[in-house]
Amino acid sequence: MSILYDEGQQAIATESRRVLEARMNKDELLPLLETTGKFHDGFWTTAKEQGWTALALPEAYGGLDLGLVELGLIAHQAGRSLSGAPFLTGSFGAAKAIELYGSDEQKAKYLPGLASGETIGAIAFAAGSNALPVLPSVTLTDNCLDGTSTGVAGGLAADIAVVYANGPGMPVLVVADLANVTRSAIDSFDNSRLYADLTFAGTPADTLVIGGTAREAALHILALQAVITAHEQTGGAEAMMEIARDYAVTRRAFGQVIGAFQSIKHRIAELYGFVELARANCIHAASREGQADFVTAAAAARISATEAYDTASRDCVQIHGGIGVTWELGLHLHTRRARSLAIEQGNLLFWEDILVDRLTGEAA
Amino acid sequence: MSDLEAYRAKAAAWLESMVPTFGKEARKGLSVEEDLAVARQYQRAKFDAGYAGINWPVDYGGQGLGHLEKVTFDSEEMKHGFPSFYFGISLGMPIPVLMQFGSDKDFVKTRVLKALKGEEIWCQLFSEPSGGSDLAGLRTKAEADGNGWKINGQKVWTSWAQYSDYGVIVVRTDPNVPKHKGLTYFWVDMKAPGVTVRPIKLVGGDSHVNEVFFDDVKITDDHRMSPVGGGFAVAIATLMIERYVATDSGGFGPHLDLFVDLAKNTELNGKPAIEDGRIRQQIARNYAMRSGLQSITARAMALMQAGMTPGPEGSLNKLVAVRSRQKLSELAIDLQGSGGFAYDDHASQKEDWTASWINAPTGRIAGGSDETLLNTIAEKILGLPQDHRPDKGVAFNQIPA
Ligand SMILES: Cc1cc2nc3c(=O)[nH]c(=O)nc-3n(C[C@H](O)[C@H](O)[C@H](O)COP(=O)(O)OP(=O)(O)OC[C@H]3O[C@@H](n4cnc5c(N)ncnc54)[C@H](O)[C@@H]3O)c2cc1C
Repeated sequence: MSILYDEGQQAIATESRRVLEARMNKDELLPLLETTGKFHDGFWTTAKEQGWTALALPEAYGGLDLGLVELGLIAHQAGRSLSGAPFLTGSFGAAKAIELYGSDEQKAKYLPGLASGETIGAIAFAAGSNALPVLPSVTLTDNCLDGTSTGVAGGLAADIAVVYANGPGMPVLVVADLANVTRSAIDSFDNSRLYADLTFAGTPADTLVIGGTAREAALHILALQAVITAHEQTGGAEAMMEIARDYAVTRRAFGQVIGAFQSIKHRIAELYGFVELARANCIHAASREGQADFVTAAAAARISATEAYDTASRDCVQIHGGIGVTWELGLHLHTRRARSLAIEQGNLLFWEDILVDRLTGEAA
Repeated sequence: MSDLEAYRAKAAAWLESMVPTFGKEARKGLSVEEDLAVARQYQRAKFDAGYAGINWPVDYGGQGLGHLEKVTFDSEEMKHGFPSFYFGISLGMPIPVLMQFGSDKDFVKTRVLKALKGEEIWCQLFSEPSGGSDLAGLRTKAEADGNGWKINGQKVWTSWAQYSDYGVIVVRTDPNVPKHKGLTYFWVDMKAPGVTVRPIKLVGGDSHVNEVFFDDVKITDDHRMSPVGGGFAVAIATLMIERYVATDSGGFGPHLDLFVDLAKNTELNGKPAIEDGRIRQQIARNYAMRSGLQSITARAMALMQAGMTPGPEGSLNKLVAVRSRQKLSELAIDLQGSGGFAYDDHASQKEDWTASWINAPTGRIAGGSDETLLNTIAEKILGLPQDHRPDKGVAFNQIPA
């Protein structure tokens, strides 16, 4: 059974929306596209101030002991205003990995910094086109990492990373300090996500999970991040749907507003369907944290949210006609974000396979 | 266990006990008439067990329970393929409308009880050759005749009219005013002189819909269920009643599990089809879509239970689910390759891909076409403009035919 938001949760949604709408605007976001290595630090400052970084972490380590449902609501607003720094998910995922699989000592070392937002975390699981490779390209020998993790979101700014690596003959999940790691910035279509390849060379690492369960643990962390990202995507899709609607009731052609043409009107109504299905799956997935079907629910949320954001950003531009493709209007900020979020945390193909594995017990 | 879960468990057990007598196997090979006779017994059994009119007033023979109990029972009942569809329209719209708008309470009570017991069936005579989506475009007319009315014209797509005892009908009583304003709502005796019912055979081979002709059919004024000229509002109320009838994220077609079974048991390029990316993608996307609809429904139920009103997103159910059922059914037939030609017109749409596929277009039209549903979402939820309506404000008889 799905949840209903209570008053406290509704307040989180309203307040985060108010704060983000007041502090974020596209004129600050557009220039970020033209440089590599900069993100909107106003967002991260806001996240720290508002306690969003601490929200879903344990009280014992400076957290607020809330969960995915609450963080999801904030991510939804972040998606609406395009504000989200990549650490919203990366720091959260890294902290969850340490909380769930780390020793008391490791938790005490990392979690307070991650909760306060002073430490920025990242997740380095991917190797090339594989979000969670069967054979990780990074290796762990004598507690030191070697090799390259590709396309790490937030990788240019992160202080620590949770890395999925190949230990001596078995997978491991470790946490590594990135101070002395070589970062090579990726010039991206969505530069403010700070994508980087991280090259480890004898980098010391703390082991979280070793052996057969490491992959399952990594998938679980990816699923937690996927649910947050899915909320962000749904927020973005919702914004695109609303922007399309607002334009359709003002722009006129052939003597009437374009929203009166069914080709436009029905398209926006279809977007409503995509957005609401994604939202429903997101709420459901967030409420399933800790349950046996969590990964299944996360995959469904991820699939519908990716479809929703891609479709809504595509159609919103089309509905605008020529003005839709200008730099200035900034709709492309959403187009870009829709695609970058579609790849972060594993693409559609990845989640479709995970989902079908779970549903049928059959791998591809 | 919550009260509702206890209710579900009890209903499920009772339904299970009905399977040997009223399930698909028991009814195999029956003609429609024989099946309807069995269906009437099933409806009577439901009535006796307290599962008819679950959320209707006790005064009228209902159970006086909530909407949640009704939805819970329906979703359990749907699993078994019982012959409840004969009464779907009757108990779905006309009878609730009769309870709300019928003037002679004794008459209403008698009818409601007989309908609940499966003894009488009602149909809904709205659509016409000239007015389907455009309900107010209908031309069947009723003229004042002494102290009553005389009906002439033709209705179409009337489900179960051939087995109906009564029907609710919207007719034009004044062609000199704009189309919405000249309509009046009545009930009619389907066995009255001048009523002719002619079944229409549908693509799936069945003939549950009909043309209904009215030739000087005389009714008294106490058949009237709306003010004269006020029929459109009651017609809309009819369509709104049962807004929360049981939804089915499978679009009233097969469950996704059946597709997975098929994909596991079918070979594609010498390997199980379940390993094929195209098949996996469809399973994944269908699952995501269906789970989204289920979450929407679950939240709507939770809201209702908490005494709140669900959001408008429930309106997506039929639109999204039936379209996807249509496509998934096509893929299931594709998967069977040359084994996919076989067709059994008695097969269940919920279990057989071909039966599901051939009947899916019906679901995209009946009860509001995809296009009109999109219009409703666009206009009522998103605030987009109404379509251009050249007939707006024009007297009906001045609209070019
Ligand atoms: C199996 C079945 C059972 C039915 N049972 C009943 C019943 O019991 N009682 C009853 O009264 N009716 C019944 N109907 C009728 C049903 O409600 C109508 O068929 C339906 O509303 C569509 O109307 P139409 O068939 O006249 O199509 P039309 O209205 O002629 O539509 C033709 C096409 O035009 C499109 N269209 C129409 N208006 C618009 C618009 N504004 N914008 C965009 N596109 C538009 C439609 O979507 C469709 O694609 C039944 C229909 C079926 C198929």
